[in-house]
Amino acid sequence: MPLLKIDDKEIQVQSGATVLETAEANGIEIPHYCYHPALEVVGSCRMCLVQVEGMPKLQVSCNTFVGDVHPDRKVDGKYDMVVHTQNDLVVQERKNILEFLLLNHPLDCPVCDQAGECYLQDYSFKFGNAHSRFEENKRVRSNEYLGSQIVINHNRCILCSRCVRFTQEISGTSELFVEARGYNTKVAALEEKPLDNLLAGNVADICPVGALLSTDYIHKNRIWNLKKQSSVCQDCSVGCNVDVFSQTNQIFRLTPRENHDVNGYFMCDIGRYGFHRFEEIERVTQPMIREGDSFVSFEWEEAIQETVDRLKRAGGKVAGVTSPYHTNETNFMLGLMVDGILGNLSQIDGEEINYPSGFRISSDRSPNRNGMNDVCPGNVDDLISDIDEQNIRTIYILDDGVDRDFDEVWKSILSKMDFVVVQTYRMTMLAQSANIILPGLAPFEREGTITNDGGRVQWLRPSLPIKGESRADWEILMMALKALDNNAQIFTDVSQVMKKMGEKIPAYKDVSFFNLGDKGLSLNGIASK
Amino acid sequence: MNSNGKSMQGFTFVDPERVEQIFSQYPDKKSATLPLLHLAQSQHGYISNSVINTIADLVDCHPAIVMDCVSFYTMLYTKPQGRHIIQVCQTLSCSLNGADSLVDHVMDKYEIKPGETTADDRFTLMKVECLGSCGTAPVVQINKEYHEGLSTQNFDKLLESFE
Repeated sequence: MPLLKIDDKEIQVQSGATVLETAEANGIEIPHYCYHPALEVVGSCRMCLVQVEGMPKLQVSCNTFVGDVHPDRKVDGKYDMVVHTQNDLVVQERKNILEFLLLNHPLDCPVCDQAGECYLQDYSFKFGNAHSRFEENKRVRSNEYLGSQIVINHNRCILCSRCVRFTQEISGTSELFVEARGYNTKVAALEEKPLDNLLAGNVADICPVGALLSTDYIHKNRIWNLKKQSSVCQDCSVGCNVDVFSQTNQIFRLTPRENHDVNGYFMCDIGRYGFHRFEEIERVTQPMIREGDSFVSFEWEEAIQETVDRLKRAGGKVAGVTSPYHTNETNFMLGLMVDGILGNLSQIDGEEINYPSGFRISSDRSPNRNGMNDVCPGNVDDLISDIDEQNIRTIYILDDGVDRDFDEVWKSILSKMDFVVVQTYRMTMLAQSANIILPGLAPFEREGTITNDGGRVQWLRPSLPIKGESRADWEILMMALKALDNNAQIFTDVSQVMKKMGEKIPAYKDVSFFNLGDKGLSLNGIASK
Repeated sequence: MNSNGKSMQGFTFVDPERVEQIFSQYPDKKSATLPLLHLAQSQHGYISNSVINTIADLVDCHPAIVMDCVSFYTMLYTKPQGRHIIQVCQTLSCSLNGADSLVDHVMDKYEIKPGETTADDRFTLMKVECLGSCGTAPVVQINKEYHEGLSTQNFDKLLESFE
């Protein structure tokens, strides 16, 4: 294995490793723009120049490979390569490169959405000059729409071509290209084929400067005002890792979070803009009991008491409906609480989309079907015929929160029921047919675990405060269980539910928030750190 | 058909044998992009969207990648050009020897600016960088011919000879 020396640090590396990647892995910062770990190396920005002993000019560290050299040619008798990232030559070169990159830059940080997470800003501050010697007029161009969700500010663009390579290599759609050359160069899309694929939002994330902007977020807020919460996307069964950015009780944006076992560096636009769906829904925030054709608000104690009375009266003849949209803990609690049969509502499917890079959008648009089936092993496929056979008249439904049209079978089931409890966060058609509505939490308010279609359990974390009288879904079920059975074990925290779940479901025995961390835990035994 | 599956009022090469011959010269299809663009321009006069789509289909890549290539080269035109293209050299020797007055002459005579085409599509005027014939400055390239050591008078006479 070659021995590399970067500044004062000696590092053993695999033959063929690049200087930039080795430095990053060892905590040595080398500034860079065009290099992105998911994309082909082009070495065009020149920001990562370092000095390699024995080479006449500075080298781009992203494209300089370390290999074994002949023993006679080793530097100081032992190093295969000696790299300097901090000497005067490199420091001066960085200043020069930044001065070039900023020639036509408008320096409009006060109105730029990237400010605060901009590499041009950060590197200028750290490595750049405070002044420019450029006295001529700057090149000024107006903004252009590249697609319906992406705007390009050409003045801020440094032409690193990350976005162009993204469309060529990751989405495979190739809408973007580098137009013209020299002074007139710019990133463009053909008029007849704009940037409108389902991964388009990622180009705004990978843009190291404020050139590519998502119209959804532009001029909405400043990044330092937002709280960043790592969580998991809930819009399909892949379970992309995300960061949710919110302020008080509003979400402003979602960005993908790196996880090589799930989504790599990216996420799709269905998940990215999915949070808007929950902004204007008719929320249910108060327990309600049907009286005639309308609902009347009640206190929790009364609503739970009424529910439990009816469940007791039904004896064992109760059906529970689990939900692939809810967490493992909620579904598990429903299994504990319902002394009868379990099943679920009809599945809602979307289109399965596969990208050449391996990125996938699953046709199952519910986040936790795998987990639901794992933690409720009693789930029957054909709930309807069991309901008929056993003449069940009481049903407790965990609502998906998706407005769906019921087929004739479900309509007839619901019409046969004497008593329908719906635990939900919004007034769906299902909720409207309920006798009791118990207000649970919306997707971005929940905490617990969900299991993706690859068998990875991931930590779903809340970004928004609980609204009104709503309570965590597992907690509502706990209240009902406690009222049903005086001897029931009491859980006061979702982690206790998780522990119990691990005892009952062997596959989940290692699942805890501590073990899950940011990257989740694979049930197939390939646990990541 | 382009890669969107939409059919454009398509451009087709009139000489498919020549296209085949170009392809046979290269190890992979994409390498034929530039010669095909030149062939298309000689047939069509300029590179239209339908030309780009046709070539993208032929070389099996996205239209944007062909456009990337087209926009890089100034000798590939993306707009319709006149029947005759006047390219006046702007580099040092020609400039010192009166290239500017040749440009002014065309601008006055035909009322067009550099980059523009006369209303009757007779001429397109362009300022270009070094044509590599500094010893015989000023140089004007009309279509594929060099015309060297021009004065305003014999340039005027020369222009009249193009219909």
